[in-house]
Amino acid sequence: MDLKLFVAILVGKIAYFLIKISGKSGGTAAPGLYALKIDPQLITKLTRKIKYGSVLISGTNGKTTTARLVSEILSSKFPILHNRQGSNLLRGIASTLVCNSTFLGTMKGNLGIWEIDEAVFKQACETIKPKIVVLLNLFRDQLDRYGEIDTIKKNWHESLLKLDKSTLLIANFDDPGIVFTSRNFKGKLIGFAVESTKSHLPPVDAVSDINHCPNCQGKLKYKKVLTSHLGNFYCQTCLFKRPEPKISAHDIELKPNFATSLKIKNGNKNFSLSYNFPGLYNVYNVLASIGVTTSFKVNTNNLIKTIENFSGAFGRYQKIRVNDKKITIFLIKNPAGANEVLRTIPLGKALSLLVILNDNFADGRDVSWIWDTNWEILNHKFKNLFVSGTRAWDMALRLKYADIKLSKNNVYEDISYSVQTVIENMNNKDTLIVLPTYTALLEMQKLLAKKGQIKWHEQ
Amino acid sequence: MILKICHLYPNLMNTYGDKGNIICMVNRCKWRNINVTVTNITTGQSPSTFDFDFFFFGGGQDVAQSIVSKDLQKKAQILKKAVDEEAVLLSICGGYQLLQKYFLTKEGKKIKGIGLFDAYTQGSNDRMIQNLLINLNPDLHTQIKSIYPTTNYQLQTTNLIGFENHSGKTYLGKNLEPIGNVISGSGNNGEDKTEGAIYKNAFGCYLHGSLLPKNPHFADLLISKALERRYGKIKLEPLDDSIEWNAHQSAVKKTLRM
Repeated sequence: MDLKLFVAILVGKIAYFLIKISGKSGGTAAPGLYALKIDPQLITKLTRKIKYGSVLISGTNGKTTTARLVSEILSSKFPILHNRQGSNLLRGIASTLVCNSTFLGTMKGNLGIWEIDEAVFKQACETIKPKIVVLLNLFRDQLDRYGEIDTIKKNWHESLLKLDKSTLLIANFDDPGIVFTSRNFKGKLIGFAVESTKSHLPPVDAVSDINHCPNCQGKLKYKKVLTSHLGNFYCQTCLFKRPEPKISAHDIELKPNFATSLKIKNGNKNFSLSYNFPGLYNVYNVLASIGVTTSFKVNTNNLIKTIENFSGAFGRYQKIRVNDKKITIFLIKNPAGANEVLRTIPLGKALSLLVILNDNFADGRDVSWIWDTNWEILNHKFKNLFVSGTRAWDMALRLKYADIKLSKNNVYEDISYSVQTVIENMNNKDTLIVLPTYTALLEMQKLLAKKGQIKWHEQ
Repeated sequence: MILKICHLYPNLMNTYGDKGNIICMVNRCKWRNINVTVTNITTGQSPSTFDFDFFFFGGGQDVAQSIVSKDLQKKAQILKKAVDEEAVLLSICGGYQLLQKYFLTKEGKKIKGIGLFDAYTQGSNDRMIQNLLINLNPDLHTQIKSIYPTTNYQLQTTNLIGFENHSGKTYLGKNLEPIGNVISGSGNNGEDKTEGAIYKNAFGCYLHGSLLPKNPHFADLLISKALERRYGKIKLEPLDDSIEWNAHQSAVKKTLRM
């Protein structure tokens, strides 16, 4: 018996139990944190016992939604272990492992789905030794916390090179940074990409993180830019270009009710797909989840059915009702993700918008990213606008310089006051769209939970 | 009336919302019926002269900074000439560093600057990441008092508030004036309480945020200096800056509370 592991699991479980009876929300990472202090090898030891191994999902945007999609599709075949969002560091994985193992370290699931913060990808690869790795995209995000994108890419590349030959890498081929990061990978590589769309989203005049060919520093060109630096790229100077994807999306239609329909090509299989969540960004998450699940030989009809019934991940696309008033929530946290949300929301028929900008640690202390985000495209799209949060005035200022009319009386730093006032004053026919940063989302959830009967996606 | 803006290397030097400074300059001119043109100049372009009233040079990541450093050498002469002819320039973080003599990275690599500012920067292991509040040097303070048109909002302070995020420590030469002194934060190097540098009408600093929208008095100072070159002393039309000052004050409050 491994005594160290036994004590670590025991302590982790006690911590979990104490947090649970104290009724505190959050603290999902604490059991893992304590367990890792006792046995730093815990993750390696326990993940090795997972029968079908682990899937690691990383990238700046879409981790949570992709992991949730994969789990739901595969849950009919496997008992799944999956770290809950907000704890995508190693300690979060350790928590999930500890809570789902017996005292002697036998795992209750036989497949691990782990969403991994891009900054800890390297340690995650080393400790977990995944069977499948998914790389979604890489954008600038809280540079104050993560440091520079180039450093992350270098770490990713080095970690991929060390993976076993039997590993499957599922990569976004529309992201030149990810394609370059995957060079010389020894395992099997499957790419996904967007080929064509029927919907005309407004172009994004966004700052791009990649302008130059990562291979030769020559000018990088695009046959079609889909968003930020994602698209069908090629270098004018060297041979670097988007490789042929195995899985691709065609004829994407983004509908006013925030539903989506599209055609999928998966190797030699073609099928149509409709589902109830919006945005081009989610198409990538769907493609990635198809990549993972087909490698487990999931029946295509089951796959289609599960995606069609999927309604979103916590706060990413969340429809709730408060006293018959319709509210739709989209989490925003960085320019690339927020730009995609801003392009998507005018498709709907909502009339009011509430933006909540916080600058707590989990949001990023630096709010300058709102100036890299294209609020200008919301001009004339909403009848009523409100802003709130610890940096409400920064947000008000940003909207003013985007030429968007906002009354000074609609700016409240206090989130609880703001949310209540806005909901009380809206009419039952309208929909309110709320764009909160991460801690603002948690605050909203807590606040609205008190109002009773509201169903949130599981966190 | 027209104000010609040149945005230097916008595709490479664009971290931390620095683009907001351009958005701010353009809007504050537009609201006063001053025409504005914005010209993007980046690597590979080699104009023979720089006929602009205002230059903006933002921050970038390390790789971008070394690409720009090489290209900037080719533009050094005409940029220095423009500044000597009283053009206004605002540079932030990486842009500020490249206008100094050199940047010595932690690893000992020397990235060449163009020496517009008699200063240099040395990489360090301290990451200076926080709100940065400074008070302006007395000369700039007086200038702002005379140009900032107050209407329904009285100018209560000439302080600047922003957000700094750098690990390079900048040291100014003997005769180079800083923009101001640090009230809260690190500034140039976290040691001597100075922040930024001024040479003629060229300014360098570590204030992201974006800087100008939340500091409308400083934005107007730059606008009036930039117009002065072509049109002589101009009286700027007043604007309603109440949202700007609310944002300024609420950021200051947060900074001082922490």
